[in-house]
Amino acid sequence: MASILLLEPDKQLAKSYQAALHKAGHTVHWQTNAQSALTVLDDHAPQLVILELHLANHNGVEFLYEMRSYPDCDHVPVVLHTMVEPEHPGLGHDFWPQLGIQEYLYKPRTTLAQLVERVNRLTLAQAA
Amino acid sequence: MNPSRNQVVTEGIVLSRTNFGEADRIITMLTSDRGKVTLMAKGVRKIKSKLAGGIELFSISQISYLPGKGEIHTLISSRLQKHYGQIVKDISRTMLGYELLKRINRATEDATESEYFDLMKISLASLDGALVLNLIELWFDAQLLRLAGHQPNLASDLQGKRLQADQLYTFDFDNMSFVTAEQGIFSPAHIKFLRLVFGLQEPLALGQITDADQVIGPCAQLVATMRHQFIRA
Repeated sequence: MASILLLEPDKQLAKSYQAALHKAGHTVHWQTNAQSALTVLDDHAPQLVILELHLANHNGVEFLYEMRSYPDCDHVPVVLHTMVEPEHPGLGHDFWPQLGIQEYLYKPRTTLAQLVERVNRLTLAQAA
Repeated sequence: MNPSRNQVVTEGIVLSRTNFGEADRIITMLTSDRGKVTLMAKGVRKIKSKLAGGIELFSISQISYLPGKGEIHTLISSRLQKHYGQIVKDISRTMLGYELLKRINRATEDATESEYFDLMKISLASLDGALVLNLIELWFDAQLLRLAGHQPNLASDLQGKRLQADQLYTFDFDNMSFVTAEQGIFSPAHIKFLRLVFGLQEPLALGQITDADQVIGPCAQLVATMRHQFIRA
């Protein structure tokens, strides 16, 4: 199906997401921090990015801006799958669309099945 | 090695970066004395690049470059002078930081005055501190308008009469002046606040105004409309 870059600092969560997405037929490149994820982008543009905003050293917003400066990655859809709550003022800002964020999923309220379903829907829409 | 006679040494703030080729990046920097420059940072994406650490976002860097024949110059060295590291510890501050970099990039030409560099430097320092974001954004927009020559008339109304303490006003964008109106949304408190926003050299003092949260809404909307209308940033 799709090649997915998963940016998730929590090892246990990442393993679950990776397993579920792999089961759904996707190839998952898992990275724990923005710097290593950018190195992956340099070698290979994914078809979709799943991103936690809370990362060590650099936050997810920085990663997104960096990613959008890569010509190969300027249209790659992004799913925010994050602990940042929906009421956070940053999430209401009008330039989210400019960063290519297609979905916002609040981690504590999102099941694994919902994550996979959203990813499948986005990757199918992209392929169509 | 002696520096080349043509080599330019200055300080700058990274406004944008774009990948180019296998390992290079094209960087737009706002400098303190050379306006806005576009630089080719060769090999900067390689792990061992000496240039990489000196061209971080939300930083002041000392740079040297060789002017090219066209618009793109070659970055030779970079050294971080000041990194505003608190900005990236907060998502909202990071987002506003990127937004302000983008606005100043759109609002400026290559041959831009040093005041724009000072504006960006003070704004980064403010974002790095504890001042609330809407005050920083409002002050930044007001200063951008002032530097572009689009400051509103905050002394007299459209008829040239001094703004009164017992009147309400609306705003006429064509003439950048207030107009007396019984149902106007701008009170003398708003106008007084706007005078401070446009007049202050830095936004820190705005945080000390006790009733700022009661007047900031209409003022921020007014200034944002002016920005969209006059400087398209």
